[in-house]
Amino acid sequence: MQSQALAVILLATITLCAPIPISYAGENAPRPTIGTQEIGLSAGYLLPDCLRAKCKTKQSGPAFMPSWMMTMTDPIGDSWYQGQFSLGAEAVYIEFQEPYLTHGVGFTPKIKYTFVAQDRIRPYAEFAGGPFWTDLGGKIPEQHSQFNFILTAGLGISYFLTEQAALNVGYRFQHISNAGTSHPNVGLNSSLPFAGFSFYF
Amino acid sequence: MHAKLPLRWTIFGCCGLIVTLTTGCASWIELKATADSSQEPNVRAIARNEQVPLVMDSISNTRNGSPQNLSLETEQRLLGTLREIGLFSHLGGIDSAEPPAGEKFIRARLLFDEDIDQHAGDKAWKSIVIGASMFILTPFIPLDYDYAAHVTLELERWDGQIKRYESQSAGTAHYQLFSTTPLMIDELKGHVTESCLTALMQQMVHDTTFYTASSAPILDRPIHSVSVKSKRSKLTPVPISTSSGK
Repeated sequence: MQSQALAVILLATITLCAPIPISYAGENAPRPTIGTQEIGLSAGYLLPDCLRAKCKTKQSGPAFMPSWMMTMTDPIGDSWYQGQFSLGAEAVYIEFQEPYLTHGVGFTPKIKYTFVAQDRIRPYAEFAGGPFWTDLGGKIPEQHSQFNFILTAGLGISYFLTEQAALNVGYRFQHISNAGTSHPNVGLNSSLPFAGFSFYF
Repeated sequence: MHAKLPLRWTIFGCCGLIVTLTTGCASWIELKATADSSQEPNVRAIARNEQVPLVMDSISNTRNGSPQNLSLETEQRLLGTLREIGLFSHLGGIDSAEPPAGEKFIRARLLFDEDIDQHAGDKAWKSIVIGASMFILTPFIPLDYDYAAHVTLELERWDGQIKRYESQSAGTAHYQLFSTTPLMIDELKGHVTESCLTALMQQMVHDTTFYTASSAPILDRPIHSVSVKSKRSKLTPVPISTSSGK
């Protein structure tokens, strides 16, 4: 089931990116400046990541994350860590297929640091957090509340096909809990490998 | 009572959104006035038969002290401004050929030194605060971008005499997150560069007579004076003793 979902996500990414002309080779490196905006769509498959003994729920399912980012700085630093800060927001939709077919929707402001020392391949680190509603809450022992928060920390790599389009792959660690607003508050931890694409303008 | 509560929150929410989007899109540029860039340079066009051509010899561009690639835009802007003051018969870019030997012309060398402070660390912290507030604090957190330029223009007359002009200007773009655009930064750089070039031209028009064809004769062999300082040797006499061996 999981492998089927991953295959669908991968196929969708390839299909959506197929029309992008790869005319980049030999040209100048993309140089997003202050104010350059980025819209993107990522998709992945959520896998349970139990860190505590209390954790019983093995939640899993596909996740979709449309995002918007704004480049805040020109490249800073002059070594391997040379990079740019971006600030933006991301919506997240998760369809929990296990343990029950339920849904989750969230909105998270997001900050990203992209390493720009390489030309076309650009690693990045990102952090996001915000409110998250899910009807999985109340059906599992860890969470009784449907109103939660989602925190995300991830690493990824952008591969620029053109100056304005990039493919992204990466890994995210996600934590869903209610921040003590109700009891119990054990929290759900997940791993989320993902792939997607971004357009810069 | 219960029906009124969501309505009230909806109104508050809409007002908040409107305030955030309108005030969060503000931006303005503050240009630090320089003493000699406040007015346009007086055009002192000289008689056509007295005009000589000007050719760009070199353009050096540095940013925060490190050398940058040649900026054709800067060259074009300089040549455009020089054209406006009407001192020269023809303006040649860095790629154009020099006039033949024995012809009077001016050689120009430009040094364009930019100083950029984008307050990167400040922006990183402000981004975290703005994000953590779910963008509500956007109107109250201004972002800054400082840009300063120092321009040196060296003009060498056909007889080897050199005039050097310098000007500097600085400005700051203050803006909110949603008004961040590359155009705004370009606008700031454009204003500062314009201010510098205006100040340079003002200095140049005071030396109009220096650039007229009749100001100096053409030299077959330009005189290059080289001053050499001789180092006086401080040798101390060494007594030499000779001994007759036999």
